Amino acid sequence: MSAGSISAEGVGVSFLFDRHQRAVTPALARLRRTSTRTWGVHEMGFTIGPGEGVALIGPSGSGKTTVLRLIAGVLSPDAGRLDVRGQVGSLLSTEAGLLGLLTGRENAALLGVLAGMSRAEAQAALEQIKLATHLEDAFERPVLSYSEGMKARLGFAVADHTGPDVMVLDEVHEALDHEFRQIVADRAHASLEAGGIVVAAGHDHPLLATFCDRALWLADGRIAADGPFEEIRQAYLNEASIDS
Amino acid sequence: MASPDTALRRSIDVLISLTISDLKVRYGRGGWRLVKWIADPFALVGVYLVLVTLVLDRPGEAPGLSLACAVIPFQLFTTTIVNAMSAVAARRSIVLNMGFNRTLLPLSGALTETVAFGASLLLLALMMAVYGVAPTLSILWLPVAIAATILLAVGVAYPAALLGIWMPEIGNFVMSFVRVLFFIAPGLVALSQISGDAHDLLMINPMTGLFESYRDALLYGDAPGAVELLYPATLGVLLLVVFVPIFRSEQRQFAKIMEF
Repeated sequence: MSAGSISAEGVGVSFLFDRHQRAVTPALARLRRTSTRTWGVHEMGFTIGPGEGVALIGPSGSGKTTVLRLIAGVLSPDAGRLDVRGQVGSLLSTEAGLLGLLTGRENAALLGVLAGMSRAEAQAALEQIKLATHLEDAFERPVLSYSEGMKARLGFAVADHTGPDVMVLDEVHEALDHEFRQIVADRAHASLEAGGIVVAAGHDHPLLATFCDRALWLADGRIAADGPFEEIRQAYLNEASIDS
Repeated sequence: MASPDTALRRSIDVLISLTISDLKVRYGRGGWRLVKWIADPFALVGVYLVLVTLVLDRPGEAPGLSLACAVIPFQLFTTTIVNAMSAVAARRSIVLNMGFNRTLLPLSGALTETVAFGASLLLLALMMAVYGVAPTLSILWLPVAIAATILLAVGVAYPAALLGIWMPEIGNFVMSFVRVLFFIAPGLVALSQISGDAHDLLMINPMTGLFESYRDALLYGDAPGAVELLYPATLGVLLLVVFVPIFRSEQRQFAKIMEF
């Protein structure tokens, strides 16, 4: 593992919609001439250095998932500059990129390659990934038969096995049972101690507190506050209780 | 940044993995997948060819084989378009979860269909056997005709994938248009049986050259005309030159489209 880092400067992500409110790409928007632009993330700036565990907190629709997708390379900024250094491992939904008709083993082989391993490396890692998932015989069954928690275990095990410098987790760890949550927390700690970065979003604050010392509070696609986890969490909860 | 050599090896690994996963979904696992692979083209067009060969009394030279020389390459063309139009949506969960080179998705779909197309070649052999058409040296042109077919299919996969993203609702219209391409080419009737302006106009359709190339190689025992192969192959390359950069630029937006 090499030291990872994330630097965002004035980053924005916009969504274009046509007059029927369907999402369109800029090329299609130009062809259709009429479109409206909505900013999902706006003027966002932060830096995250090696060994930092950062929680993204905020209400639904505040931009948490968009920020995680930016870091994971799923989205590119439409404004500003984002620099992510190091190998990124992402688990952004319980589906985790899994294809239902493939078995756990076949999905692990595919996701391993998509995450940056060579085919040979992915094949060689399958037994270790199987052990890490704790899925046992279910590893050989189609993922269609899996519960949400089983899918999250598989997705996490593959993402973790690629040895990421930056681990990005979006709520999915909340689908995990207590035993595997502890494993996620342990792996996150090990990664942080080795100079890795963990960025996680979710509403289970006690779980986030186990591996995040810092929090970014997002509201309406902007950073409302950035600081120590507990301090930011309290500020957010106070505001949320006033609003409700 | 990865060196070009590393990036190429990584792209090949991703391409192979995506294609293998596609094939596993389609054909399953174990010994039966070979049976399914062979049986699929028979299920798609085999019954029709048997009908033409054994039941209907059609004029012309080896009508079943002549028809197979058109239907089989056309099948690769159409299935590639169908696959490409859903190439990104079918992998929605991956597109929303991971950053990877999505430009490989249409190519992977075309590769999957090419593997499926491989089994269709057995139908051509069967038709030759049924009509007692012995292979000649011109059969050596068959790989060239297949290469031109694949090149055109890969080329058309990129605009088809973009259409699948931009306007998924017009999928049926696109497939209707594609089917028309078969009927405005010498598919049901060989080009030699068509005369006048229609003969010349049919040459505009890239399918014409492909169909006739297969017939030249397998039925007539001739070398295909250069234009018959160069036209569809060049069109395939042109489509790649125009649409791969557009696809590469648009791929940054796919996750946004998939989310809503």
